[in-house]
Amino acid sequence: MGSKLKGQIDPDSPSYVQDPYSRYSHPPVLEPSLAGAVLFLLVTVIVNIKLILDTRRAADEDPPAQEYEDVIPNMETPRRPASGRKVLDMEVYSSRSKVYVAVDGTTVLEDDMQEQGRGIHVIVLNQATGHVMAKRIFDTYSPHEDEAMILFLNMVTRGRILIFTIKDEGTFHLKDAAKNLLKSFGSQASLNLSWRDMWTLVVKKGGPVCGEKHSKSPALSTWGDPVLLKTEVQLTAAEEAECHWADTELNRRRKLFCSKVEGYGSICSCKDPAPIEFNPDPLPNNNVFNVPVAVIAGNRPNYLYRMLRSLLSAHGVNPQMITVFIDGYYEEPMDVVELFGLKGVQHTPISIKNARVSQHYKASLTATFNLHPDAGFAIVLEEDLDISVDFFSFLSQTIHLLDQDDSLYCISAWNDQGYEHTAEDPGLLYRVESMPGLGWVLKKNIYKDELEPKWPTPEKLWDWDMWMRMPEQRRSRECIIPDVSRSYHFGIIGLNMNGYFHEVYFKKHKFNTIPNVQLRNVDSLRKDSYEAEVQKLLTEAELLDHSKNPCEDSFVPDTEGKTYVMFIKMESELDTSTWTELAKCLHVWDLDVRGYHRGLWRLFRKRNHVLVVAVPISPYS
Amino acid sequence: QTGLHLLNPAGHVTSSQVQWQTLKKFLALAQHFRLAVFLADTTVLTLLSQDALRQRDRMTREPHCSFLCTGRPITSFALQANQWKLNPGFLLAAEQKGFELLEVRGHDPRLASLDTLSGEEIPLHFLFRLHGYIIHVVLLYERSGNYLWHGVLRLKANMDRSFAPFKLLDYGRHAGAYDRPELMLTVIDSLDIRVPRNISQFLMQQQRAQYLECRYHDARSFLQLYPDDSSTAAVEFRRKAKALLNLAARTLGELDIPFWISSGTCLGWFRQCSIISYSQDVDIGIFITDFRPDIAEAFRDAGLSLKHKFGKVEDSLELSFLGEDIKLDIFFFYKDGDIMWNGGTQAKSGRKFKYIFPSFSLCWAELLEVKVRVPCETLDYVMANYGATWSIPVRSWDWKSSPSNVMENGVWPMAEWAGLIQVY
Repeated sequence: MGSKLKGQIDPDSPSYVQDPYSRYSHPPVLEPSLAGAVLFLLVTVIVNIKLILDTRRAADEDPPAQEYEDVIPNMETPRRPASGRKVLDMEVYSSRSKVYVAVDGTTVLEDDMQEQGRGIHVIVLNQATGHVMAKRIFDTYSPHEDEAMILFLNMVTRGRILIFTIKDEGTFHLKDAAKNLLKSFGSQASLNLSWRDMWTLVVKKGGPVCGEKHSKSPALSTWGDPVLLKTEVQLTAAEEAECHWADTELNRRRKLFCSKVEGYGSICSCKDPAPIEFNPDPLPNNNVFNVPVAVIAGNRPNYLYRMLRSLLSAHGVNPQMITVFIDGYYEEPMDVVELFGLKGVQHTPISIKNARVSQHYKASLTATFNLHPDAGFAIVLEEDLDISVDFFSFLSQTIHLLDQDDSLYCISAWNDQGYEHTAEDPGLLYRVESMPGLGWVLKKNIYKDELEPKWPTPEKLWDWDMWMRMPEQRRSRECIIPDVSRSYHFGIIGLNMNGYFHEVYFKKHKFNTIPNVQLRNVDSLRKDSYEAEVQKLLTEAELLDHSKNPCEDSFVPDTEGKTYVMFIKMESELDTSTWTELAKCLHVWDLDVRGYHRGLWRLFRKRNHVLVVAVPISPYS
Repeated sequence: QTGLHLLNPAGHVTSSQVQWQTLKKFLALAQHFRLAVFLADTTVLTLLSQDALRQRDRMTREPHCSFLCTGRPITSFALQANQWKLNPGFLLAAEQKGFELLEVRGHDPRLASLDTLSGEEIPLHFLFRLHGYIIHVVLLYERSGNYLWHGVLRLKANMDRSFAPFKLLDYGRHAGAYDRPELMLTVIDSLDIRVPRNISQFLMQQQRAQYLECRYHDARSFLQLYPDDSSTAAVEFRRKAKALLNLAARTLGELDIPFWISSGTCLGWFRQCSIISYSQDVDIGIFITDFRPDIAEAFRDAGLSLKHKFGKVEDSLELSFLGEDIKLDIFFFYKDGDIMWNGGTQAKSGRKFKYIFPSFSLCWAELLEVKVRVPCETLDYVMANYGATWSIPVRSWDWKSSPSNVMENGVWPMAEWAGLIQVY
């Protein structure tokens, strides 16, 4: 797309930053253009191949070990000795269409793809080893990216080597705060950086500038000449690069982590590091203590970090049962897993895009039940979820239903329609015909006897969750969900995709923060009891005034704690237009029809319970 | 510490006292960390299972340590791995008590499936050494076929090969599969020790515990060349075959009759770690020496119907049962010198056939999450049956002519047909 002049509208769909993992459980509404998709596939494939080649590849089938009978001399080659070199040679290149960074002849960054990688590339190196600890791109052509860059740079530990280089355009929305920060690092050019300038900088944070080059753009319509910075960086002794934490098992993990990666806030603070062990309260009668937890992850280590922190802080968590399944041989997610002392499993990527996610899901679920042959259930989580403090308590109170009621498909922590203004009661549960995912419990029998044998094969480019929702799989079974969700889908925040989409559909989702919520009448969620429950509700419900516009605030009276009923037209399953209209003005999920039970939606308006009945398809009409 | 002052009448610290002290120390540690290790040492368990006379005989020789001190420098224990809490405390404490430690890790077989997953290596064996005595702890992992598994003990190149007399170990030469043993706490040589409740059964299992992991790597390559049929019919067939295999394993298990998967079912396991979806039946083999007349009744009770019975116990016996709508073929194997063979009969002509295999022993394996046996020399077995091109799928198969090892074997005398060729 290239950079554009002021006032022009950027088509804001950089499909290339979309990770397949950001797309779980959304309908395909924001499908990028076909060309974008093809490019995306291509990039995905290339990136995958590259990652497979150059990151930790677990030795596959044949271990280089011998039977103990064969006595052979020690043949293992020693690890590369710490070289005596104390200086790193650097080359940093900045231009309109290409950036690269080479450290001691090794290319650690190379980006010459068209229509991607615009902005300021930042690389953090360990000042003692020269290892790459973080790589980021801040598209400071676009608004607010400079704020993200400031946050990131402030988190980087003092003494680290920072490398900056601009591709295409990186100054349009680079505000003074960011320029001043760069100046405080020692940059001479930062205050003068402007439209389509090329720029490179190598600096030790809190230390000397090792080199800087800047070339001004001569005119609005042209770019500055490419710059190539060649410089040397003095390495420091290992001890100087480390903090002196007390020598404990936890700190050993912390030390290892902090020597490898940057950008995780105060985890690596020398003086007051953030905890990596949380010791949340146990649950008195925990029925899910021995249920395995599968965390499905891609390559979004910062997300995974946030997710695992909330998971390990939830009451009743059993870290022994957690396995993180990483789709690909990525280092950094594995580092995060090891930081928390958890078990991580890496999966060779199969297929592409949604099918890749789907295959990863299958492999992870199969492995989960393999690792825990005694388990009757598995809890399935994704790397972009916050977990409520009473998540396990919620499951512990409901999991028996899956065993006792064959008409159930899953228990999910997520209410598709549970927004700040439509969810109210943390003790209330529903039955719904859709399968929400986003933190859910799967029964082993359902997986082993039904889903696993016919799981979509890689060449079918299907979403696993869409597939699970198909009638052939769901077979009219329902899921139990809470009114107030026990998970929060933060997955889209920070991703450079449609901010409006997240704002509208996810950000305002209600998330329970109250511990130890006692769920009410759990057994009334069984098939027959629930029908009686719904009938009772309908009997006591007051009919809303249908002559009023349901989009008007006055449609629901200003009462509290009452139950109301309204009727909408729905001639068939496919006749969704009335519901969609209503959902739009209620500001709930309207991209497809979700969260209903036999043509009935239940939600809250102004602290009143509102029943929406579809006429005539609902048996309640 | 007191042990070293325990002198024998001659005033010397005997080696058995040192061994006893070593065991005592180890068991105290295990108890402190709540690790329910149980005695798995074949020599000691054999002594325990023998008659009292022999015990008294030993008592007189080694009053303090009449069972545990066997003259071998090794004592083996086993531990269910789910009790191994990743707790470095135990190993640390053992080292503080003077034990030297050798930990052997290996790949986690539960991640080895048709997908390429790799996790951290898991601990398989621990060897603790003190005063020249070795305590071997074998970790037993739960597997999905409802059994316990331990891994092979492989030393990595940088490990100390003189740490222990590895050849004397009871466990580790092969991977092994075991039933979950019921344990009981007992006192042996004044030490509290857990032992399997049914010692002789445990020892019998130990004799034939060798386990073969499926060759997932090769199976993946095979499936890349010949992708699995994922049609509804194929999925249905695999489901039924799994149910039938499960039922066969349970039924024969109750009768205590060992069986192995044979013919196409064995090929499916060996070649693609699954059931060949167009194979139409489940084939198993049983040694004729294990034949019992109540087999047919047991399968009938389990809900199968006898479809045909060919031959007789003395010659070419073959039983076939019908499950949901697929067949369970049971071939009985006869030993003849250094070969094994089973028979076939053509119902309409009375013609007999003979299928010849090189002699084999039995190993455990897992197929469709069912623990089954396979010939340990699986490749020889499959090659005998399917020839050198066993790795190429053949859809049209004639049991009378296609197998590489089929031989004409005459014709049943017409007069005996009624008894020898029974079709239901």
